[in-house]
Amino acid sequence: MFSSLSRRRVILLVVLTCVLLITLDKRGNPVIDRTRGVFARIIQPFDTATRAISLPIERAWNGVTNYDDVERENEALRDQIEHMKGNDVEARSAVLEYRELLKLNQLTSKFQFDTVAAQVVGESPSNFQNTVEINVGSRQGVAVGMPVTDGAGLIGRITKVFPTRSIVLLLTDPEFSIQAQVLTADDAPTGTSSPTESTTLSGIPISDLTSSTTSTSTTTTTRPLPEGLEPLPTTTVAGQPGATTPAQSTTTSTTTPEVVRETGLLEGQGADKPMLLRFVDTNSSNSNVKVGAIVDTAGGNSGLAPQGIPIGIITKVERQTGSSASRVEVTPNASLKRLNFVAVVLYVPNQDAVGK
Amino acid sequence: MRSIVLGPLLRLVPVGLVALSIQRVVFAAHPVFHDVKLQFVLALVVAAGAGGGADRGAVAGFVLGLMYDISGNTPLGLMALAYGLGGMTAGYVHSFTPDPQWWLASIFAFFGAAVGEAAIPVAEVITGENGWLTSEVKWTIPIVAGFAALMCPLLMPVGRWMMGVKRKKWKAMLE
Repeated sequence: MFSSLSRRRVILLVVLTCVLLITLDKRGNPVIDRTRGVFARIIQPFDTATRAISLPIERAWNGVTNYDDVERENEALRDQIEHMKGNDVEARSAVLEYRELLKLNQLTSKFQFDTVAAQVVGESPSNFQNTVEINVGSRQGVAVGMPVTDGAGLIGRITKVFPTRSIVLLLTDPEFSIQAQVLTADDAPTGTSSPTESTTLSGIPISDLTSSTTSTSTTTTTRPLPEGLEPLPTTTVAGQPGATTPAQSTTTSTTTPEVVRETGLLEGQGADKPMLLRFVDTNSSNSNVKVGAIVDTAGGNSGLAPQGIPIGIITKVERQTGSSASRVEVTPNASLKRLNFVAVVLYVPNQDAVGK
Repeated sequence: MRSIVLGPLLRLVPVGLVALSIQRVVFAAHPVFHDVKLQFVLALVVAAGAGGGADRGAVAGFVLGLMYDISGNTPLGLMALAYGLGGMTAGYVHSFTPDPQWWLASIFAFFGAAVGEAAIPVAEVITGENGWLTSEVKWTIPIVAGFAALMCPLLMPVGRWMMGVKRKKWKAMLE
Protein backbone atom coordinates (compact mmCIF):
# COMPACT_ATOMS: atom_id res chain seq x y z
CA MET A 1 0.00 0.00 0.00
CA PHE A 2 2.66 2.43 1.06
CA SER A 3 5.35 1.38 -1.34
CA SER A 4 3.21 2.24 -4.36
CA LEU A 5 2.44 5.75 -3.14
CA SER A 6 4.98 8.39 -2.28
CA ARG A 7 4.84 10.03 1.17
CA ARG A 8 3.59 13.36 -0.18
CA ARG A 9 0.81 11.70 -2.12
CA VAL A 10 -0.39 9.74 0.92
CA ILE A 11 -0.47 12.89 3.05
CA LEU A 12 -2.16 14.94 0.34
CA LEU A 13 -4.77 12.20 -0.14
CA VAL A 14 -5.48 12.11 3.60
CA VAL A 15 -5.87 15.89 3.88
CA LEU A 16 -8.10 16.19 0.80
CA THR A 17 -10.32 13.30 1.91
CA CYS A 18 -10.73 14.91 5.34
CA VAL A 19 -11.69 18.27 3.86
CA LEU A 20 -14.19 16.58 1.54
CA LEU A 21 -15.75 14.59 4.40
CA ILE A 22 -16.00 17.66 6.68
CA THR A 23 -17.75 19.56 3.88
CA LEU A 24 -20.18 16.71 3.24
CA ASP A 25 -20.99 16.22 6.93
CA LYS A 26 -21.40 19.94 7.62
CA ARG A 27 -23.96 20.19 4.84
CA GLY A 28 -25.87 17.20 6.20
CA ASN A 29 -25.57 13.84 4.54
CA PRO A 30 -27.98 10.94 5.13
CA VAL A 31 -25.33 8.35 4.22
CA ILE A 32 -22.99 9.66 6.92
CA ASP A 33 -25.83 9.75 9.45
CA ARG A 34 -26.70 6.13 8.63
CA THR A 35 -23.04 5.15 8.94
CA ARG A 36 -22.93 6.72 12.39
CA GLY A 37 -25.98 4.67 13.38
CA VAL A 38 -24.38 1.44 12.18
CA PHE A 39 -21.09 2.26 13.89
CA ALA A 40 -22.92 3.00 17.14
CA ARG A 41 -24.24 -0.55 17.08
CA ILE A 42 -20.83 -2.01 16.25
CA ILE A 43 -19.02 -0.23 19.07
CA GLN A 44 -21.66 -0.94 21.72
CA PRO A 45 -20.43 -4.48 22.57
CA PHE A 46 -16.86 -3.15 22.79
CA ASP A 47 -18.00 -0.43 25.21
CA THR A 48 -19.91 -2.97 27.28
CA ALA A 49 -16.90 -5.28 27.47
CA THR A 50 -14.54 -2.43 28.41
CA ARG A 51 -17.01 -1.26 31.07
CA ALA A 52 -17.33 -4.77 32.47
CA ILE A 53 -13.55 -4.97 32.86
CA SER A 54 -12.89 -1.44 34.10
CA LEU A 55 -15.84 -0.97 36.47
CA PRO A 56 -14.77 -3.44 39.20
CA ILE A 57 -11.25 -2.00 39.15
CA GLU A 58 -12.60 1.53 39.35
CA ARG A 59 -14.97 0.67 42.20
CA ALA A 60 -12.24 -1.04 44.19
CA TRP A 61 -9.96 1.95 43.73
CA ASN A 62 -12.70 4.39 44.73
CA GLY A 63 -13.53 2.22 47.74
CA VAL A 64 -9.97 2.46 48.96
CA THR A 65 -9.25 6.10 48.19
CA ASN A 66 -12.59 7.93 48.47
CA TYR A 67 -14.45 6.15 51.28
CA ASP A 68 -14.10 8.96 53.85
CA ASP A 69 -15.05 11.65 51.36
CA VAL A 70 -18.14 9.75 50.28
CA GLU A 71 -19.26 9.24 53.88
CA ARG A 72 -18.80 12.96 54.63
CA GLU A 73 -20.61 13.93 51.47
CA ASN A 74 -23.46 11.57 52.34
CA GLU A 75 -23.96 13.22 55.71
CA ALA A 76 -23.92 16.69 54.15
CA LEU A 77 -26.46 15.60 51.55
CA ARG A 78 -28.79 14.19 54.24
CA ASP A 79 -28.71 17.56 56.01
CA GLN A 80 -29.38 19.32 52.74
CA ILE A 81 -32.38 17.08 52.03
CA GLU A 82 -33.89 17.92 55.42
CA HIS A 83 -33.54 21.63 54.68
CA MET A 84 -35.03 21.23 51.23
CA LYS A 85 -38.13 19.34 52.37
CA GLY A 86 -39.66 22.58 53.61
CA ASN A 87 -38.88 24.42 50.39
CA ASP A 88 -40.31 21.55 48.36
CA VAL A 89 -43.81 21.88 49.84
CA GLU A 90 -43.80 25.59 49.15
CA ALA A 91 -42.55 25.08 45.60
CA ARG A 92 -45.19 22.46 44.82
CA SER A 93 -48.01 24.75 45.82
CA ALA A 94 -46.45 27.54 43.73
CA VAL A 95 -46.25 25.22 40.72
CA LEU A 96 -49.91 24.25 41.11
CA GLU A 97 -50.91 27.90 41.24
CA TYR A 98 -48.74 28.60 38.20
CA ARG A 99 -50.41 25.81 36.22
CA GLU A 100 -53.84 27.14 37.15
CA LEU A 101 -52.86 30.59 35.92
CA LEU A 102 -51.44 29.20 32.69
CA LYS A 103 -54.64 27.29 32.07
CA LEU A 104 -56.73 30.39 32.77
CA ASN A 105 -54.65 32.48 30.38
CA GLN A 106 -54.38 29.68 27.77
CA LEU A 107 -50.59 29.84 27.74
CA THR A 108 -48.18 27.03 26.90
CA SER A 109 -45.56 25.81 29.32
CA LYS A 110 -43.13 22.98 29.94
CA PHE A 111 -45.83 21.11 31.85
CA GLN A 112 -47.75 20.41 28.65
CA PHE A 113 -45.02 18.20 27.24
CA ASP A 114 -44.27 14.59 28.07
CA THR A 115 -40.78 13.57 29.05
CA VAL A 116 -38.70 10.45 28.50
CA ALA A 117 -36.43 9.38 31.34
CA ALA A 118 -32.88 8.50 30.33
CA GLN A 119 -29.55 7.65 31.84
CA VAL A 120 -26.19 9.12 30.89
CA VAL A 121 -24.07 6.28 29.53
CA GLY A 122 -21.04 8.12 28.25
CA GLU A 123 -19.21 11.41 28.02
CA SER A 124 -17.44 13.07 25.15
CA PRO A 125 -14.03 11.44 24.71
CA SER A 126 -12.57 14.67 23.34
CA ASN A 127 -11.31 17.72 25.22
CA PHE A 128 -13.02 19.99 22.72
CA GLN A 129 -16.63 18.82 22.91
CA ASN A 130 -19.08 19.18 25.80
CA THR A 131 -21.46 16.35 25.13
CA VAL A 132 -22.93 13.34 26.90
CA GLU A 133 -24.50 10.22 25.52
CA ILE A 134 -27.88 9.01 26.82
CA ASN A 135 -29.56 5.64 26.45
CA VAL A 136 -32.72 6.72 24.61
CA GLY A 137 -33.12 7.39 20.91
CA SER A 138 -35.54 7.63 18.03
CA ARG A 139 -37.37 4.47 19.16
CA GLN A 140 -38.46 6.33 22.30
CA GLY A 141 -39.59 9.35 20.28
CA VAL A 142 -36.48 11.45 20.78
CA ALA A 143 -35.64 13.91 17.98
CA VAL A 144 -32.89 16.41 17.21
CA GLY A 145 -33.31 19.72 19.04
CA MET A 146 -35.31 18.46 22.02
CA PRO A 147 -34.33 19.98 25.38
CA VAL A 148 -32.88 17.75 28.09
CA THR A 149 -33.26 18.47 31.80
CA ASP A 150 -32.31 16.96 35.11
CA GLY A 151 -33.82 17.65 38.52
CA ALA A 152 -32.09 21.02 38.75
CA GLY A 153 -32.87 22.43 35.30
CA LEU A 154 -31.85 22.47 31.65
CA ILE A 155 -28.67 20.58 30.79
CA GLY A 156 -28.61 20.82 26.99
CA ARG A 157 -30.27 19.72 23.79
CA ILE A 158 -30.22 16.67 21.54
CA THR A 159 -27.87 17.04 18.58
CA LYS A 160 -27.68 13.50 17.21
CA VAL A 161 -30.19 10.68 17.44
CA PHE A 162 -29.64 6.97 16.88
CA PRO A 163 -32.24 4.22 17.37
CA THR A 164 -31.34 3.50 21.00
CA ARG A 165 -29.09 6.38 22.04
CA SER A 166 -28.66 10.10 21.56
CA ILE A 167 -25.99 12.73 21.94
CA VAL A 168 -26.74 15.74 24.12
CA LEU A 169 -24.86 19.00 23.58
CA LEU A 170 -24.38 20.44 27.06
CA LEU A 171 -25.26 24.06 27.67
CA THR A 172 -21.67 25.02 28.48
CA ASP A 173 -20.47 24.06 24.98
CA PRO A 174 -19.52 27.13 22.90
CA GLU A 175 -21.84 25.86 20.17
CA PHE A 176 -24.84 25.98 22.52
CA SER A 177 -27.16 28.97 22.63
CA ILE A 178 -30.76 29.39 23.73
CA GLN A 179 -33.33 32.13 24.19
CA ALA A 180 -33.55 32.85 27.91
CA GLN A 181 -35.44 35.19 30.21
CA VAL A 182 -34.49 36.77 33.48
CA LEU A 183 -37.14 37.35 36.10
CA THR A 184 -36.22 39.94 38.67
CA ALA A 185 -38.28 41.40 41.45
CA ASP A 186 -38.02 45.16 41.06
CA ASP A 187 -38.30 45.92 44.79
CA ALA A 188 -36.53 49.24 44.73
CA PRO A 189 -38.52 52.03 46.40
CA THR A 190 -39.86 53.75 43.32
CA GLY A 191 -42.99 55.76 42.61
CA THR A 192 -44.72 52.76 41.13
CA SER A 193 -44.71 50.68 44.28
CA SER A 194 -47.89 51.25 46.25
CA PRO A 195 -48.11 50.89 49.99
CA THR A 196 -50.70 48.30 50.90
CA GLU A 197 -50.49 48.47 54.65
CA SER A 198 -49.74 51.30 56.98
CA THR A 199 -49.86 51.08 60.77
CA THR A 200 -48.85 53.46 63.52
CA LEU A 201 -47.54 51.96 66.70
CA SER A 202 -46.30 53.57 69.87
CA GLY A 203 -44.65 52.43 73.04
CA ILE A 204 -43.02 49.35 71.49
CA PRO A 205 -39.28 48.81 71.64
CA ILE A 206 -37.61 49.16 68.24
CA SER A 207 -35.97 45.78 68.51
CA ASP A 208 -39.32 44.07 69.11
CA LEU A 209 -40.96 45.98 66.33
CA THR A 210 -38.44 45.09 63.66
CA SER A 211 -38.39 41.44 64.60
CA SER A 212 -42.15 40.97 64.82
CA THR A 213 -43.19 42.52 61.51
CA THR A 214 -42.66 41.12 58.03
CA SER A 215 -42.71 44.37 56.13
CA THR A 216 -40.21 45.20 53.43
CA SER A 217 -39.55 48.73 54.67
CA THR A 218 -39.76 50.30 58.09
CA THR A 219 -39.71 54.03 58.87
CA THR A 220 -39.08 55.25 62.38
CA THR A 221 -39.96 58.82 63.34
CA THR A 222 -39.27 60.49 66.69
CA ARG A 223 -41.42 63.58 67.25
CA PRO A 224 -40.09 66.57 69.26
CA LEU A 225 -42.01 67.09 72.50
CA PRO A 226 -44.17 70.22 72.80
CA GLU A 227 -43.18 72.74 75.44
CA GLY A 228 -44.63 72.24 78.93
CA LEU A 229 -45.43 68.55 78.46
CA GLU A 230 -43.95 65.72 80.49
CA PRO A 231 -41.73 63.28 78.65
CA LEU A 232 -43.54 60.16 77.42
CA PRO A 233 -43.22 56.97 79.45
CA THR A 234 -40.26 54.83 78.55
CA THR A 235 -40.02 51.04 78.18
CA THR A 236 -37.16 48.87 79.38
CA VAL A 237 -35.76 46.21 77.11
CA ALA A 238 -35.83 42.86 78.90
CA GLY A 239 -32.48 41.47 79.76
CA GLN A 240 -30.76 44.80 79.26
CA PRO A 241 -31.09 46.76 82.51
CA GLY A 242 -30.79 50.44 81.98
CA ALA A 243 -31.32 50.29 78.30
CA THR A 244 -34.37 52.36 77.68
CA THR A 245 -36.13 53.46 74.52
CA PRO A 246 -38.42 56.45 74.36
CA ALA A 247 -41.95 55.91 73.10
CA GLN A 248 -42.01 56.35 69.38
CA SER A 249 -44.33 56.69 66.49
CA THR A 250 -43.46 54.02 63.91
CA THR A 251 -44.88 53.72 60.40
CA THR A 252 -44.71 50.34 58.72
CA SER A 253 -45.45 49.94 55.03
CA THR A 254 -45.41 46.84 52.85
CA THR A 255 -44.72 47.10 49.11
CA THR A 256 -45.55 44.49 46.47
CA PRO A 257 -42.44 43.86 44.30
CA GLU A 258 -42.95 44.20 40.57
CA VAL A 259 -41.56 41.32 38.49
CA VAL A 260 -39.50 42.48 35.51
CA ARG A 261 -38.89 40.11 32.56
CA GLU A 262 -35.87 40.59 30.33
CA THR A 263 -35.04 38.31 27.41
CA GLY A 264 -31.74 37.53 25.76
CA LEU A 265 -29.52 34.91 24.23
CA LEU A 266 -27.64 32.61 26.57
CA GLU A 267 -24.41 31.12 25.20
CA GLY A 268 -21.98 28.52 26.48
CA GLN A 269 -18.32 29.39 26.91
CA GLY A 270 -16.75 26.00 27.49
CA ALA A 271 -16.57 23.53 30.34
CA ASP A 272 -16.13 24.96 33.86
CA LYS A 273 -16.97 28.43 32.65
CA PRO A 274 -20.20 30.30 33.34
CA MET A 275 -22.57 30.98 30.47
CA LEU A 276 -22.82 34.42 28.90
CA LEU A 277 -26.15 36.25 28.60
CA ARG A 278 -26.62 38.82 25.85
CA PHE A 279 -29.76 40.89 26.19
CA VAL A 280 -31.99 41.96 23.35
CA ASP A 281 -32.14 45.38 24.97
CA THR A 282 -28.55 46.23 25.85
CA ASN A 283 -29.65 48.63 28.59
CA SER A 284 -31.37 45.82 30.49
CA SER A 285 -28.20 44.57 32.08
CA ASN A 286 -27.49 48.03 33.48
CA SER A 287 -30.85 48.65 35.04
CA ASN A 288 -32.79 45.62 36.18
CA VAL A 289 -30.53 42.59 36.13
CA LYS A 290 -28.90 41.77 39.41
CA VAL A 291 -26.71 39.04 40.79
CA GLY A 292 -28.87 36.20 42.08
CA ALA A 293 -31.65 36.64 39.53
CA ILE A 294 -33.15 33.45 38.10
CA VAL A 295 -32.67 32.63 34.42
CA ASP A 296 -35.01 30.24 32.61
CA THR A 297 -36.00 29.38 29.05
CA ALA A 298 -37.93 32.06 27.21
CA GLY A 299 -39.96 29.79 24.93
CA GLY A 300 -41.66 31.32 21.90
CA ASN A 301 -41.81 30.24 18.26
CA SER A 302 -38.08 30.50 17.70
CA GLY A 303 -37.20 29.01 21.08
CA LEU A 304 -35.48 25.66 21.43
CA ALA A 305 -37.40 24.81 24.61
CA PRO A 306 -40.78 25.61 26.16
CA GLN A 307 -40.98 28.53 28.51
CA GLY A 308 -40.11 28.15 32.15
CA ILE A 309 -37.40 25.50 32.33
CA PRO A 310 -34.90 26.79 34.90
CA ILE A 311 -31.37 27.24 33.56
CA GLY A 312 -29.31 28.97 36.22
CA ILE A 313 -28.61 32.00 38.34
CA ILE A 314 -26.83 35.22 37.46
CA THR A 315 -23.53 35.19 39.32
CA LYS A 316 -21.78 38.21 37.87
CA VAL A 317 -22.79 41.48 36.26
CA GLU A 318 -19.73 43.31 35.06
CA ARG A 319 -19.93 46.77 33.58
CA GLN A 320 -17.78 47.21 30.48
CA THR A 321 -16.03 50.41 29.64
CA GLY A 322 -16.99 51.90 26.31
CA SER A 323 -20.19 49.88 25.98
CA SER A 324 -23.73 50.32 27.21
CA ALA A 325 -24.09 46.57 27.71
CA SER A 326 -22.76 44.70 30.73
CA ARG A 327 -21.19 41.27 30.78
CA VAL A 328 -23.71 39.01 32.50
CA GLU A 329 -22.53 35.57 33.60
CA VAL A 330 -24.93 32.76 34.43
CA THR A 331 -24.01 29.65 36.39
CA PRO A 332 -26.14 26.62 35.48
CA ASN A 333 -28.29 25.05 38.19
CA ALA A 334 -27.49 21.55 37.01
CA SER A 335 -24.22 19.98 38.01
CA LEU A 336 -23.00 18.99 34.56
CA LYS A 337 -20.13 16.88 35.82
CA ARG A 338 -22.37 14.59 37.85
CA LEU A 339 -25.13 13.79 35.44
CA ASN A 340 -26.82 10.45 35.82
CA PHE A 341 -30.59 10.38 35.26
CA VAL A 342 -32.01 13.00 32.93
CA ALA A 343 -35.30 13.67 31.13
CA VAL A 344 -35.81 14.50 27.47
CA VAL A 345 -38.71 16.92 27.04
CA LEU A 346 -40.65 15.74 23.99
CA TYR A 347 -40.93 19.24 22.60
CA VAL A 348 -40.11 19.53 18.94
CA PRO A 349 -38.70 23.01 18.40
CA ASN A 350 -38.94 25.04 15.25
CA GLN A 351 -36.53 23.42 12.78
CA ASP A 352 -35.15 26.82 11.71
CA ALA A 353 -34.17 27.43 15.34
CA VAL A 354 -32.50 24.02 15.54
CA GLY A 355 -30.50 24.87 12.43
CA LYS A 356 -29.18 28.02 14.09
CA MET B 1 -6.49 -4.05 -3.43
CA ARG B 2 -6.00 -7.41 -1.78
CA SER B 3 -2.90 -6.13 -0.02
CA ILE B 4 -4.84 -3.16 1.36
CA VAL B 5 -7.68 -5.30 2.75
CA LEU B 6 -5.43 -7.95 4.19
CA GLY B 7 -2.78 -5.45 5.26
CA PRO B 8 -2.95 -2.65 7.82
CA LEU B 9 -6.69 -1.90 7.52
CA LEU B 10 -7.65 -5.38 8.67
CA ARG B 11 -5.69 -4.79 11.87
CA LEU B 12 -6.36 -1.06 12.21
CA VAL B 13 -10.13 -1.38 12.54
CA PRO B 14 -10.34 -3.96 15.37
CA VAL B 15 -7.44 -2.38 17.27
CA GLY B 16 -9.08 0.99 16.74
CA LEU B 17 -12.41 -0.27 18.11
CA VAL B 18 -10.74 -1.51 21.29
CA ALA B 19 -8.74 1.72 21.69
CA LEU B 20 -11.84 3.81 21.08
CA SER B 21 -13.80 1.85 23.68
CA ILE B 22 -11.01 2.39 26.22
CA GLN B 23 -11.04 6.09 25.39
CA ARG B 24 -14.84 6.40 25.66
CA VAL B 25 -15.29 4.34 28.80
CA VAL B 26 -12.13 4.84 30.84
CA PHE B 27 -10.35 8.05 29.85
CA ALA B 28 -13.44 10.13 28.99
CA ALA B 29 -14.93 9.45 32.42
CA HIS B 30 -11.78 10.25 34.38
CA PRO B 31 -10.33 13.62 33.52
CA VAL B 32 -7.05 14.44 35.22
CA PHE B 33 -5.32 17.71 36.07
CA HIS B 34 -7.33 20.78 34.91
CA ASP B 35 -10.12 18.43 33.75
CA VAL B 36 -8.08 17.34 30.75
CA LYS B 37 -9.12 14.02 29.24
CA LEU B 38 -6.13 11.91 28.28
CA GLN B 39 -6.23 10.78 24.66
CA PHE B 40 -5.52 7.08 24.33
CA VAL B 41 -6.38 6.89 20.63
CA LEU B 42 -4.03 9.77 19.84
CA ALA B 43 -1.30 8.05 21.86
CA LEU B 44 -1.80 4.93 19.71
CA VAL B 45 -1.69 6.99 16.51
CA VAL B 46 1.59 8.72 17.37
CA ALA B 47 3.08 5.42 18.53
CA ALA B 48 2.15 3.92 15.14
CA GLY B 49 3.72 6.94 13.45
CA ALA B 50 6.90 6.73 15.55
CA GLY B 51 7.12 3.01 14.81
CA GLY B 52 6.24 3.04 11.13
CA GLY B 53 7.09 6.43 9.65
CA ALA B 54 5.27 9.57 8.58
CA ASP B 55 3.08 8.05 5.85
CA ARG B 56 1.96 5.13 8.01
CA GLY B 57 1.35 7.54 10.92
CA ALA B 58 -0.82 9.72 8.68
CA VAL B 59 -2.88 6.71 7.53
CA ALA B 60 -3.26 5.38 11.11
CA GLY B 61 -4.33 8.85 12.26
CA PHE B 62 -6.77 9.16 9.40
CA VAL B 63 -8.47 5.79 9.99
CA LEU B 64 -8.60 6.02 13.80
CA GLY B 65 -9.66 9.67 13.60
CA LEU B 66 -12.49 8.74 11.24
CA MET B 67 -13.66 6.10 13.73
CA TYR B 68 -13.49 8.72 16.48
CA ASP B 69 -15.60 11.11 14.40
CA ILE B 70 -18.18 8.49 13.51
CA SER B 71 -18.63 7.47 17.14
CA GLY B 72 -19.03 11.01 18.44
CA ASN B 73 -20.39 14.42 17.72
CA THR B 74 -17.50 15.93 15.77
CA PRO B 75 -17.85 16.61 12.04
CA LEU B 76 -16.67 13.59 10.07
CA GLY B 77 -13.07 14.15 9.01
CA LEU B 78 -12.14 16.69 11.70
CA MET B 79 -10.41 14.31 14.08
CA ALA B 80 -9.13 12.33 11.11
CA LEU B 81 -7.35 15.45 9.87
CA ALA B 82 -5.96 16.35 13.30
CA TYR B 83 -4.83 12.82 14.14
CA GLY B 84 -3.43 12.36 10.65
CA LEU B 85 -1.22 15.43 11.21
CA GLY B 86 -0.22 14.10 14.64
CA GLY B 87 0.74 10.66 13.29
CA MET B 88 2.67 12.21 10.44
CA THR B 89 4.63 14.52 12.78
CA ALA B 90 5.56 11.63 15.08
CA GLY B 91 6.65 9.61 12.05
CA TYR B 92 9.31 12.15 11.12
CA VAL B 93 11.55 10.44 13.66
CA HIS B 94 12.37 8.06 10.80
CA SER B 95 14.03 10.94 8.96
CA PHE B 96 16.75 10.79 11.63
CA THR B 97 17.09 7.07 12.13
CA PRO B 98 15.29 4.07 10.61
CA ASP B 99 15.11 2.28 13.97
CA PRO B 100 14.64 4.92 16.68
CA GLN B 101 15.45 4.28 20.34
CA TRP B 102 12.48 4.30 22.73
CA TRP B 103 13.33 7.72 24.16
CA LEU B 104 13.74 9.30 20.74
CA ALA B 105 10.40 7.83 19.66
CA SER B 106 8.83 9.22 22.86
CA ILE B 107 10.12 12.70 22.12
CA PHE B 108 8.63 12.61 18.63
CA ALA B 109 5.42 11.12 20.03
CA PHE B 110 5.24 14.11 22.37
CA PHE B 111 5.47 16.57 19.50
CA GLY B 112 3.15 14.49 17.32
CA ALA B 113 0.48 14.38 20.04
CA ALA B 114 0.89 18.12 20.68
CA VAL B 115 0.36 18.84 16.99
CA GLY B 116 -2.62 16.44 16.83
CA GLU B 117 -4.34 17.90 19.90
CA ALA B 118 -3.63 21.51 18.90
CA ALA B 119 -5.00 20.86 15.42
CA ILE B 120 -8.48 20.03 16.78
CA PRO B 121 -9.50 23.52 18.00
CA VAL B 122 -7.78 25.09 15.00
CA ALA B 123 -9.73 22.84 12.61
CA GLU B 124 -12.93 23.59 14.58
CA VAL B 125 -12.37 27.31 14.14
CA ILE B 126 -11.79 26.81 10.41
CA THR B 127 -15.02 24.80 10.12
CA GLY B 128 -16.97 27.47 11.98
CA GLU B 129 -17.15 25.97 15.47
CA ASN B 130 -15.65 28.79 17.50
CA GLY B 131 -15.06 28.91 21.21
CA TRP B 132 -12.51 26.18 21.92
CA LEU B 133 -9.33 28.05 21.05
CA THR B 134 -8.97 29.46 24.57
CA SER B 135 -6.28 29.74 27.21
CA GLU B 136 -7.24 26.27 28.49
CA VAL B 137 -5.34 24.83 25.53
CA LYS B 138 -2.11 25.67 27.35
CA TRP B 139 -2.96 22.88 29.81
CA THR B 140 -4.64 20.46 27.44
CA ILE B 141 -1.84 20.17 24.90
CA PRO B 142 1.15 19.45 27.20
CA ILE B 143 -0.83 17.01 29.35
CA VAL B 144 -2.14 15.04 26.36
CA ALA B 145 1.30 15.14 24.72
CA GLY B 146 3.02 14.03 27.92
CA PHE B 147 0.67 11.08 28.26
CA ALA B 148 1.33 10.06 24.64
CA ALA B 149 5.10 10.26 25.25
CA LEU B 150 4.79 8.05 28.33
CA MET B 151 2.62 5.51 26.53
CA CYS B 152 4.76 5.46 23.39
CA PRO B 153 7.22 2.69 24.43
CA LEU B 154 4.26 0.48 25.43
CA LEU B 155 2.11 1.21 22.40
CA MET B 156 4.83 1.24 19.74
CA PRO B 157 4.88 -2.58 19.31
CA VAL B 158 1.07 -2.52 18.96
CA GLY B 159 1.36 0.33 16.46
CA ARG B 160 4.02 -1.51 14.45
CA TRP B 161 1.94 -4.69 14.36
CA MET B 162 -1.18 -2.72 13.47
CA MET B 163 0.55 -1.07 10.52
CA GLY B 164 2.30 -4.25 9.39
CA VAL B 165 5.83 -2.97 10.05
CA LYS B 166 8.55 -5.43 10.78
CA ARG B 167 11.44 -4.35 12.94
CA LYS B 168 14.55 -3.96 10.87
CA LYS B 169 17.23 -6.56 11.31
CA TRP B 170 20.68 -5.19 10.82
CA LYS B 171 23.25 -7.41 9.19
CA ALA B 172 26.95 -6.87 8.85
CA MET B 173 27.97 -5.90 5.36
CA LEU B 174 29.65 -8.62 3.42
CA GLU B 175 33.16 -7.91 2.34
